[in-house]
Amino acid sequence: MNKYLLAILIIAFFAWYLSYSATRLDRLHHRVETSWANLDGLLQRRAAIAIEIARSEISDPASSLLLTFAAHQAREASVRDRSQAETGLTGALGILLETSPAVSGPIEQDLIRELTELTEKIKMAISMHVDAVTRTQLVRKKWFMRAFRLAGSAPEPVTYEFEGDVL
Amino acid sequence: MPLTKKRIGIVCPYGWDTPGGVQSHVGDLAEYLIRQGHYVSVLAPAIDDENLPEYVTSAGRPIAIPYNGAVARVLFGPIAFARVRQWINNGSFDVMHLHEPAIPSISLLACWAAEGPMVGTFHAAAKRQKVTFAVAPILEPVIEKLTARIAVSEAARETLTEHLETDAIVVPNGIYADRYRDGEIDSRWIGNTLGFIGRFEEKRKGLDILVAALPKIIERFPDVKVIVAGPGDSAEFLKNIEPALKNRFQFLGRISEKEKADFLASVALYIAPNTGGESFGIILAEALAGGASVVASDIPAFDALLGQGQYGTLFESENSIDLSMKINHLLGDEQKRREIAQRGKIYAQQFDWDVVAERIYDVYEMAMVGGSTVSLSSENRAWNKFLGRQS
Repeated sequence: MNKYLLAILIIAFFAWYLSYSATRLDRLHHRVETSWANLDGLLQRRAAIAIEIARSEISDPASSLLLTFAAHQAREASVRDRSQAETGLTGALGILLETSPAVSGPIEQDLIRELTELTEKIKMAISMHVDAVTRTQLVRKKWFMRAFRLAGSAPEPVTYEFEGDVL
Repeated sequence: MPLTKKRIGIVCPYGWDTPGGVQSHVGDLAEYLIRQGHYVSVLAPAIDDENLPEYVTSAGRPIAIPYNGAVARVLFGPIAFARVRQWINNGSFDVMHLHEPAIPSISLLACWAAEGPMVGTFHAAAKRQKVTFAVAPILEPVIEKLTARIAVSEAARETLTEHLETDAIVVPNGIYADRYRDGEIDSRWIGNTLGFIGRFEEKRKGLDILVAALPKIIERFPDVKVIVAGPGDSAEFLKNIEPALKNRFQFLGRISEKEKADFLASVALYIAPNTGGESFGIILAEALAGGASVVASDIPAFDALLGQGQYGTLFESENSIDLSMKINHLLGDEQKRREIAQRGKIYAQQFDWDVVAERIYDVYEMAMVGGSTVSLSSENRAWNKFLGRQS
């Protein structure tokens, strides 16, 4: 009798562990999605500001061209190419802000301030996203998760490399 | 700041009635957010349910357990867990902020029980121990539910990366800088005075090291005095030091915020000889904001807080000879002392709650992007229903 009880207990525990692990993985994928949504939103806002800067008086025509080009590219890039495109934009903004003379007008100063604040937030968002991605990749690699295909059809999250320090 | 008012739930793992860094951090943050118009509820263990601030809900009486070399007043067990679940269920929070979720207390329980936007703040800095390897597999699935992690210092962040292999955003502890900005010079505390604030009986606060450094300082400055503020038995402390040094000490006991501001503005040097166990060093931030010229041991937390010695003077930790040399040098050079204090005062403004709470709120906003609210996690919902039917 005891044997059957034990078998039932083991099966029950196994079932619980399966569902628990699946929930855990699902939650992690959800975290990746939200942190990406957050980062994506902030990056879109940065691209918008970049275009505004390109049209303002801070920027000379050549820089404007470079900046507008980089901003559009960043907006249109696919997830895989995104970090490269955003790095391009960071570079373009960096060059402009470094070489442009002291900004004078109040509108321009507002723009610059908004950009610095946004950069801070983007740095935080990147660290949140990278953490979610590495964590998910790590858990997906566990043999238990792989053996029972607990990740299902959820795509493997891509690491996002971003040189936030340039700004 | 906020366009919309949010419902914020904060969990404090340590007993609310016992003074401590985490508790005062939670209290200050909650009050700040309430002033900004948010709805804030704090869940904390408490001995005395009656005299809690309006925003604090008691989760039950804390239990004192030895943890990490000190006594921690924490709370766990089935009853506490039920209260935590109930609080989460009734709160319908937009975001939940858990303090020290890696400590066996109600923050960990809340993290286990809930899902949705959750932010965790890690305060402690600890050395890597063997026990971490045993504990990590239990903690990891819980900790990874947090949407965002905050560490109060670089030291706390390193601890987190080492122990749980996860990264965190560094947001420092907050102080009310304006409370200390305008301290008045008090004639009782001026001259060649060395200030010390804290529970001086605790060995890790390092008052012993200052005592050992004293004879060398007296050689050059015969009128030097040590003024100690903070709770403790001063008679007991004086018993163990040389009679010749006794009259150098003056004990003030616990002092008010106003007195603290005056104290910091008046003393020639503020001494922090702590030997370790410090993750951030809130008192140093306050001392800087109060315009004191600081001499502190070079433990990692202080080294980081003082900008590697830019905003205060560092001495080799537990080396009383080095301490006496640094003190002698500064007591003899008022110009330099003032210069350092001036730099420190400006620098300390970044620890003001106005700055710190905004950054914490930024993290909340990022955690809330998904738009979902905090609820009991699916496993626990089933469990609750089951219990509900039983009773």
